[in-house]
Amino acid sequence: MRVLTKSVIGVLLCAAVLVLGVRDAAAPEVYLSITKGFGEKIIVAVPLFAGATGTVRDEDMRSVLSTDLEYSGHFSVVENLGFVDETEADDRSSGRVAFPEWLALGAEVLVKGDVQSRGTELALEAQVYDLGQGRSIFTKRYVAQPSQWRALVHQLADDIVHNLTGEQGIARSRIAFSSNVTGTKEIYVMDYDGENIRRVTKDGHAAMYPSWFPDNSAIAYTRFRAFGQEAVVIGLSTGAVRRLSWSPGLNAFTSISPKGGEALITLSRDGNPEIYRLRADGSEPRRLTHGPSTESSPCWSPDGRRIAFVSDRSGSPQIYVTNAAGGSDERMTYRGSYNTSPDWSPKGNLIAYTARIEGTYQICTVDVETKEVTTLTTGGGNKEDPSWAADGRHVVYSVRSKKKTDLYMLDIHDLVPVRLTSDAGDHESPAWSR
Amino acid sequence: MPRISRLLPIVLVVALALLAFSGCSKKPVAEPVAEPLEDTQALRGEDVALTPQPEETVYVEPGAGVFEDIHFEYDKYRIMSEDEATLQRIARWLKENEDVKVLIEGHCDERGTNEYNMALGEQRALAARRYLIGLGITAERLNTISYGEEQPLDSAGDEAAWAKNRRAHFAVSD
Repeated sequence: MRVLTKSVIGVLLCAAVLVLGVRDAAAPEVYLSITKGFGEKIIVAVPLFAGATGTVRDEDMRSVLSTDLEYSGHFSVVENLGFVDETEADDRSSGRVAFPEWLALGAEVLVKGDVQSRGTELALEAQVYDLGQGRSIFTKRYVAQPSQWRALVHQLADDIVHNLTGEQGIARSRIAFSSNVTGTKEIYVMDYDGENIRRVTKDGHAAMYPSWFPDNSAIAYTRFRAFGQEAVVIGLSTGAVRRLSWSPGLNAFTSISPKGGEALITLSRDGNPEIYRLRADGSEPRRLTHGPSTESSPCWSPDGRRIAFVSDRSGSPQIYVTNAAGGSDERMTYRGSYNTSPDWSPKGNLIAYTARIEGTYQICTVDVETKEVTTLTTGGGNKEDPSWAADGRHVVYSVRSKKKTDLYMLDIHDLVPVRLTSDAGDHESPAWSR
Repeated sequence: MPRISRLLPIVLVVALALLAFSGCSKKPVAEPVAEPLEDTQALRGEDVALTPQPEETVYVEPGAGVFEDIHFEYDKYRIMSEDEATLQRIARWLKENEDVKVLIEGHCDERGTNEYNMALGEQRALAARRYLIGLGITAERLNTISYGEEQPLDSAGDEAAWAKNRRAHFAVSD
């Protein structure tokens, strides 16, 4: 009995610290006063940030924050910026937050920022308010180099998303892809919103099929050499390239395990495309699939215990799932005669893939338990190669038009595609960082 | 049977050459003749493992006449009957040029997904390789690379162009 009492007191003390932590708001925790049903948005007002930096336009910062919040799928930003800016001007002259005025704009949440140049750095102090409760949800200070102002705003957006929904934000995530804009296919990385495109591979060899390591520090990809393909890993900060697999034949579609210690890859060294599992340093390759058909395009389940892949053993390419330790295979797709390029949702319940539907390639998901198929895209233009964001809610994929191929992202609840790339060239094989 | 009679002169030449090289040595000269002329494993379509090659191996475009591209049906990788003569001509040439290694490139038309086409291109190269092994070419001389849909010969985007693009192309060691 005494033991029980002690533990109850212990729990209560822990709870008190947590609550204080939220009130204190140094590190945002999940705020539970605003909850929304499926498909409902939290309405947020984003006035211009106060202060001035001399380098970054306040309109640009507001635009990035508003876009981040809307792209997250959880928020709808108040559109009437004239009223928003007037209300903010009144707040500044009165020195307090006029909660009824903000509520009258239809907003539930208010994000205010004060941005200052401090030496060579940019400092942003953000305050997030629950307008209905008339109180602060959290206050947080962010500091970055002025050139990194987008990252700074993205971080605020991710904190807001996590704080108000409990979900992981994706505003700081990046997307790797291949592009032939230089004439040779190379690997590039961009911010999740299509900004800051940066070329990663520069050695003149064609490079395809990027796959992130889970700590986002390195990317595995397939490199084409005169003697054949090889799978390599490039460190993003160092640019150093190391080899992962250089068997004769295919060395393609590397997928790094959720913990980063292992990789799946398609090799044809035994005379037929099959799936192999190896350590992330390239050692101890072990063959997982057998048979005369094509087995290809492996990816891990988020717990690392199962893999999805493509096989044409039935006479047409279809999605299968098997145990990552080897074992019997389960066919996931039965609709249509061409289902390829699976990617397993970080939430574990869905596998996204490319399906040929009435002659056009579309993005679909299949529920791992029920095998229920949902088609996410419609219309012309072949869509290919979906990759999930860490939130399990967004996918990025390529869309081929007559002249070029661009990347789009899609919120699987809202189903409104957003184009991410616009420059010349074919942008393909997107891979979303964690 | 016809295949053996066609190869007989080559075998004799090889045997005579070996005899000449062996000079006074007493080694038996009949051994090369005992090499199997057909690899039944490959002919049954079974997998024959690829052999790692030294990375210094340089592959070049072969001279005209022998190494013509062979072609494939949409989404398929089986060898078509009209290409068998080409493969037999290639096999004969390779038997006469035993130092030469071949890198077989598999290609696809741009329909289908980029990712699956990379695997399909490899299957086309492997199908050509299996056929050549079946004609008696040692597996170690034949390697593969897939370019998927990356290197179309014709970008017109019509049936004729697609047919041209679905191919296995041959490069030979320098």
